[in-house]
Amino acid sequence: MTTEVFGKHKWGMVVDVDRCTGCQACVLACQVENNVPLNTQERYERARGMAWIRVERYWEGEFPDVKARFIPILCQHCENAPCEPVCPVFATYHNPEGMNVQIYNRCVGTRYCANGCPYIVRFFNYWEPVWPESFRNHLNPDVTVRSRGIMEKCSFCMQRIRRGVRNAAKENRELEDGEIQTACQQACPTDALVFGDIDPDNNRTNPGRAYSMINDDRAYTLLPRLNTDPNVIYLAKVDPDREGGAGGH
Amino acid sequence: MASLLEFIKEKHRTTPLWIKALAPVLLLGGLAVFAVTGAVTAFVITAWLGQPIPVLGFDQTVKQPIAFPHTIHAGTGLFPSTGLPGQFIDGLEMDCTFCHRTVTSQANAGVPPVALCSYCHKVIGPEENPELAKLRKAAGLTEEDPSPINWKRVHRLPDHVRFVHEPHIRYLTQHPSEIRNAAPGVNQLSEALPSQVCSTCHGDVASMLEVKQVEALKMGQCVDCHRENEAPTDCTVCHH
Ligand code: HEC
Ligand code: HEC
Ligand code: HEC
Ligand code: HEC
Ligand code: HEC
Repeated sequence: MTTEVFGKHKWGMVVDVDRCTGCQACVLACQVENNVPLNTQERYERARGMAWIRVERYWEGEFPDVKARFIPILCQHCENAPCEPVCPVFATYHNPEGMNVQIYNRCVGTRYCANGCPYIVRFFNYWEPVWPESFRNHLNPDVTVRSRGIMEKCSFCMQRIRRGVRNAAKENRELEDGEIQTACQQACPTDALVFGDIDPDNNRTNPGRAYSMINDDRAYTLLPRLNTDPNVIYLAKVDPDREGGAGGH
Repeated sequence: MASLLEFIKEKHRTTPLWIKALAPVLLLGGLAVFAVTGAVTAFVITAWLGQPIPVLGFDQTVKQPIAFPHTIHAGTGLFPSTGLPGQFIDGLEMDCTFCHRTVTSQANAGVPPVALCSYCHKVIGPEENPELAKLRKAAGLTEEDPSPINWKRVHRLPDHVRFVHEPHIRYLTQHPSEIRNAAPGVNQLSEALPSQVCSTCHGDVASMLEVKQVEALKMGQCVDCHRENEAPTDCTVCHH
């Protein structure tokens, strides 16, 4: 039998806000990796732009003492996901590897899940996706192209996870920490995004980089009062100007 | 009883002749509609559950730009030639992985480039074979411009399914008892060759003049086997 058993991992991501420079490389990498349709100005104006990961910008202070703050927002892969129970056809559910997944061919497009999501990271295909002719051979063959009428969202680059797991099984070994990188993580020039196994019960000799970061003093989750229990953990901005030294958003 | 007879006689007298002439037509028409509906329903149901009944070009074969025979290349025994009718050619027993090179390492099995064919066909095969002439033209042996052969896909799962050959070939070579439609003796081996496992999903390709899909390859089939062999059955494994 293989050493890789399905459901052995619990995937998560650590986002170090202190390192984020707001360069948007992750946004572009995600768009290309996951066949996300192109956004036009018109789509943004109608509030129908799509980006599985986005960098939100906040201004802090008054001119001239003004600071730009950035925070990347992606699907939080909540343990208590508000999007899951509202789906009438089980197109979105929590899989044994701790991820909130969307099965496109199961989806009938009710959009209840997007209404339920407090992080606004689910996107509905209002139009059939079109790419310019020059993009024809740029689509990722490992990712389904979603048609009109279907909900989509960050999948933690499922295709890369499956490939990593398969490669480990092929070579009959354990999956190594850091072997699987999401597209956004790979593109990040400041190493602000760290994907990995964050299973608290894992008793591997090397618990992994992401796991070692989730108990950091700076760790927090988005909208904790909603009790969604996200698998995406943020590390707060270190701000020497602020009272108390380190402050978050 | 008598009154019924009276009634029929009465009707017979009063009904106009054109309606009497039409009655058998209507009856036959009704039967025909019934038969057609039945046939269409049977076709739809079989297509839904597995493979459609092979009529009207629904027999799963595809007209290829060059009539490439798997029989002559991969089979054993004498096979009829596709290019020169009446001739018989000895099977070469080539290994499937010689041509489908990535099947043991990647998602796609891959169909060989023309260069691999011209490796042999630069010299092998009679000049007058029209199929080989097409091949030599595509390979740039008889004309200036080489062009890739536009092979048509035979097996194609819907776009929302991700199939990967590599783990299947690996697992089945290690567990030969799970191979289906296997050649005699293969199921008893302790380790099978990659080319001995293809029959599980593709049937006996080596004896097909034209490749056709013999297994329905529906989700039920995939998931049943995954359950039996403790392979993952989470939706995301196949749909992402
Ligand atoms: C190992 C050598 C070899 C390779 C590689 C090879 N063939 Fe052949 N092929 C043969 C032989 C031998 C014959 C029989 C020729 C004969 O005696 O007529 C043949 C016959 C054929 C014929 C004619 C069959 C007939 O019915 O008359 C076609 C068409 C053909 N090959 C196509 C291809 C294509 C396309 C490829 C590449 C995918 C290919 N071959 C690769 C050895 C090869
Ligand atoms: C000489 C090279 C060669 C060998 C050897 C060979 N094939 Fe093929 N195969 C081809 C070519 C070329 C095609 C594409 C044309 C076609 O579909 O007939 C193809 C097509 C196929 C297809 C259909 C692909 C589709 O489009 O769905 C299957 C299945 C297949 N081969 C299986 C096998 C198996 C199993 C073996 C071993 C018994 C084998 N092949 C041996 C060259 C080869
Ligand atoms: C577990 C079932 C299974 C086994 C075993 C299997 N195949 Fe396939 N094969 C498929 C399916 C399903 C497809 C269609 C894939 C798609 O549409 O994405 C396919 C497609 C193909 C194709 C055409 C498309 C491509 O991937 O290039 C070829 C050629 C092929 N198989 C050859 C082989 C050969 C050679 C073997 C044996 C070494 C083999 N297959 C073993 C299920 C299988
Ligand atoms: C003959 C049995 C069999 C059939 C039929 C079969 N599979 Fe599999 N499949 C397996 C086994 C066993 C594995 C696990 C291999 C391993 O040990 O890693 C597997 C693995 C996989 C994987 C990779 C899992 C991973 O870890 O990412 C995918 C994807 C997959 N199968 C899809 C399919 C699809 C789609 C079909 C239907 C067309 C199919 N399989 C039909 C036996 C089968
Ligand atoms: C082992 C691979 C595999 C797994 C696991 C799997 N599917 Fe599928 N699924 C397929 C294949 C292959 C098809 C396409 C063939 C077909 O239509 O049956 C398909 C088709 C579908 C379709 C479209 C059916 C149609 O008639 O168009 C839906 C919906 C679907 N799957 C939902 C799911 C859900 C929900 C799960 C998880 C509970 C799941 N699948 C798990 C392989 C798989």
